Amino acid sequence: MSVECHGRLFRISVIQWIVWGLLLCGCMSAVAADRLVVYSVNYPLAYFAERIGGGHVEVHFPAPAAVDPAFWMPDADTVAGYQGADLILLNGAGYAKWIERVSLPRRKLVDTSRGLAGSYITVTEGVTHQHGPDGDHAHAGTAFTTWLDFNQAAQQAGEIAAALSRQRPERAAAFNENLQRLQEELLQLDSRMQALAAAQPGLPLLASHPVYQYMARRYGLQLRSVTWEPEVQPDDSSWRELQSMLVRQASHWMLWEGNPRMETRKGLERLGVQTVLFRPAMNRPATGDFMTVMRANIEALTVAFDAPD
Amino acid sequence: MDSLYVAWRYVTWNRGKTLVLIASITLVAFLPLALQTLLNESERQLRTRALDTPLLLGAAGSALDLVMSSLYFDDEVPARIDMRAPAVIDESGLAYPLPLYVRFMARGAPIVGTTLDYFDFRGLQLAQGRLFGLLGEAVIGAEVSMRLGIGVGDSLVSSPDNLFDIAGVYPLKMTVAGVLADSHSPDDRAVFVDVKTAWVIEGLGHGHQDLARTADSSVILRQDAGTVTANARLVQYTEITPENIDSFHFHGSAADYPLTALLVVPDDDKAAARLRGRFIDDSRYQLVRPNTVIDGLMESIFRIKQVIDAVIVIVAIATLLTIVLVFALSLRIRREELETIFRIGCSRMTTVRLLAAEILIIVTVSAVLCAGLLWLIHINSAALVQGLILR
Amino acid sequence: MGTATREKMISIQTLGFSYPGAGFRLQVPALSVASGEKLAVIGPSGSGKTTLLNLIAGISVPDAGQVQVGETTVSQLGDAARRSFRITNIGFVFQNFQLLDYLSVLDNVLHPYRISSALTLNRPVRQRALELLDQMGIAGLQSHPAHALSQGEQQRAAICRALLPQPALILADEATGNLDPDNKQLILDMLFARVDDNGATLLAVTHDHELLPRFDRVQDFADFRGASS
Repeated sequence: MSVECHGRLFRISVIQWIVWGLLLCGCMSAVAADRLVVYSVNYPLAYFAERIGGGHVEVHFPAPAAVDPAFWMPDADTVAGYQGADLILLNGAGYAKWIERVSLPRRKLVDTSRGLAGSYITVTEGVTHQHGPDGDHAHAGTAFTTWLDFNQAAQQAGEIAAALSRQRPERAAAFNENLQRLQEELLQLDSRMQALAAAQPGLPLLASHPVYQYMARRYGLQLRSVTWEPEVQPDDSSWRELQSMLVRQASHWMLWEGNPRMETRKGLERLGVQTVLFRPAMNRPATGDFMTVMRANIEALTVAFDAPD
Repeated sequence: MDSLYVAWRYVTWNRGKTLVLIASITLVAFLPLALQTLLNESERQLRTRALDTPLLLGAAGSALDLVMSSLYFDDEVPARIDMRAPAVIDESGLAYPLPLYVRFMARGAPIVGTTLDYFDFRGLQLAQGRLFGLLGEAVIGAEVSMRLGIGVGDSLVSSPDNLFDIAGVYPLKMTVAGVLADSHSPDDRAVFVDVKTAWVIEGLGHGHQDLARTADSSVILRQDAGTVTANARLVQYTEITPENIDSFHFHGSAADYPLTALLVVPDDDKAAARLRGRFIDDSRYQLVRPNTVIDGLMESIFRIKQVIDAVIVIVAIATLLTIVLVFALSLRIRREELETIFRIGCSRMTTVRLLAAEILIIVTVSAVLCAGLLWLIHINSAALVQGLILR
Repeated sequence: MGTATREKMISIQTLGFSYPGAGFRLQVPALSVASGEKLAVIGPSGSGKTTLLNLIAGISVPDAGQVQVGETTVSQLGDAARRSFRITNIGFVFQNFQLLDYLSVLDNVLHPYRISSALTLNRPVRQRALELLDQMGIAGLQSHPAHALSQGEQQRAAICRALLPQPALILADEATGNLDPDNKQLILDMLFARVDDNGATLLAVTHDHELLPRFDRVQDFADFRGASS
């Protein structure tokens, strides 16, 4: 081959690369422009949306890592971010009180637990207050960690997929495929939990905080709650309250949202109570994702159920 | 020959008579035309708005009250529906609902409680600032901004329901987050807030000191196990600030919260027809097509206008007869003058020509005046209709 | 017309006229007025003096006989032709001036030009009107409204109006009847002077016997046979 011929081939291949490059950029920017902007009020819903939407959605969950998204108040800029979204995923069941105090476009709201509204669990803790002798306002709340019932989580995922498909009907097939895969995994978790609970039905359990109501209902757990914070050392009255609970019914396991302080853990062990870490994953975990956290939770709980009573 | 000059001298000499004639002719011509212009403009405004609003859901009752309140923010408050209604529309899968709660006023402007979707739906643009984001924020129409001289960052206090209402509605100081661009519609005259802010004005949501933690025991009336009763010293916030917003909360079931109407936006004509079919026999709700309601209203208005037209025709005939009489009397007074010009050598037609020239001058001046007034009415018709008719 | 020789300006023969339904009948066997002559017509009230002026001017048409003014037999002209003849050839001066209150003095003088298609208002006419007002001693009052003038001044303005089209014949009907004695002489002087300037003929009906010596000739109506039938 002549030098001239080499040169021509080189030029052609350069032009080819440029054309391919331009086409690729074009496709990528088209996909980017077409991506649905989705904002979520907690991590589980954000995770579900990421799984279902894949590359076609841009999921935002702007709560800082250090806050509890259920009791957080976003600033005006963050609210503006939510207002500008194509879809806003709400957990429902009274989760994230801040949405009552801001204005969000109603059409973009997706109440993922819409179908569960009839089976919400009402909690009676908290203060009822009155304004004057004739005005009585009950502050009775609703338990909101709906996703810890994995069957409910699968339904919430289904609502997200339906909302995404309404926005992008042309991608509905892809969304449904992703949903199926996600629901299979969630239902696997569900069966593992059911199998686990069936090993020792009625095993008495304690919870450091009342966040496991739906899980307890679904899997028939005998769960009693105190209101302890992992990072706070319980005071004497808290310990006395626990001791009286143990007198009424012995229990060897306490579920914790986060790792308790060493003194707390030792104190519990002295009462014969072991610590089980079961993280509700309201916020994005430092490592892993929703699935890895939940699998670790179930592993931890397995220890309790596998132990001889 | 200069009949117009002589006629001009005559009409300017008899100023009083001329002015009365011009005024009568101008008025008789102007009134029906101005009325027609204003009616056309009202119809245009009513129609544009009605055509832009496919369906309206409200409590069973007066369809006209519902339309006037929801589209034109008339101060007649229709019977209320509650937050179950949007769910009914949502569940139909045929349309999406835009809640409206139009009940309160702020410095003479209606407060329209709605959601952000309203601005998209009406295609409203911001002239400055942003849409409401936090509870207690308001977006005001262009006319409100101009009339009250307020803009972004200023505040606006809601009017109490009535002066002696001490239990229910607390005036709420709202912060203006944005000002809308002029839209030549009732939206220019309104103060928009999130429907939740309207509920705070209603007293359904409020903020106060945390009773369980308050150090001031003087606000506590009674404290039982789990129930704290506060007395009237409990501070009711009249302004929502970043510092106190976390204390704001709503009482009771969200489904019971009131609305005055839902703007219902169907997916297509078929969905609209199906939805209408569902509400035909509904005893709680009415689903109306605003344009049909406006048809009925315009029919009534045009019947009234026909009566007014008939009256104007009679007045016009009376005026015409008066004018004929005035000219006849003036001919009698001027008989000597007319006899003289005949004797000098002018034909009897000269008299007719002089008279015609006078009438021409008077009618021309009246026509110019009338046209000027009509032009003023025309260029201000949008504002006049909003100010006088669609208040 | 307007010949300087002593031709006949007015020639009337066996004139007869009666108003429809009225008992009175005017009869003039013969009357002739020479061009440039100033003739006074006297007679008792109701004897038909004004009717005679109307017949000469063509305002009324005789039922018998003829009226000839200059070369024109007025009584034989049609309606429009008589009007056109009247406005161009005959000037009227009335007892009560007949000025229009709503016009200025100058506009009153120009008035015939403004309302008649037989006359054309142009710059020379305006110039002549101003000269006439000056000759009559009321140039300074030209823009005053007519009603603001004294009676003497009003009659002077009325004479200007009659003379402006330069008619060959002036018909004056009790032109001095409403004036005080001093003004009577003055106005008559001025009228005569203008008639002389124009070389016109003057036929004046009057009751004022002290003015009669100033006319060339006096025609008494008692000489005609005017009688109730």
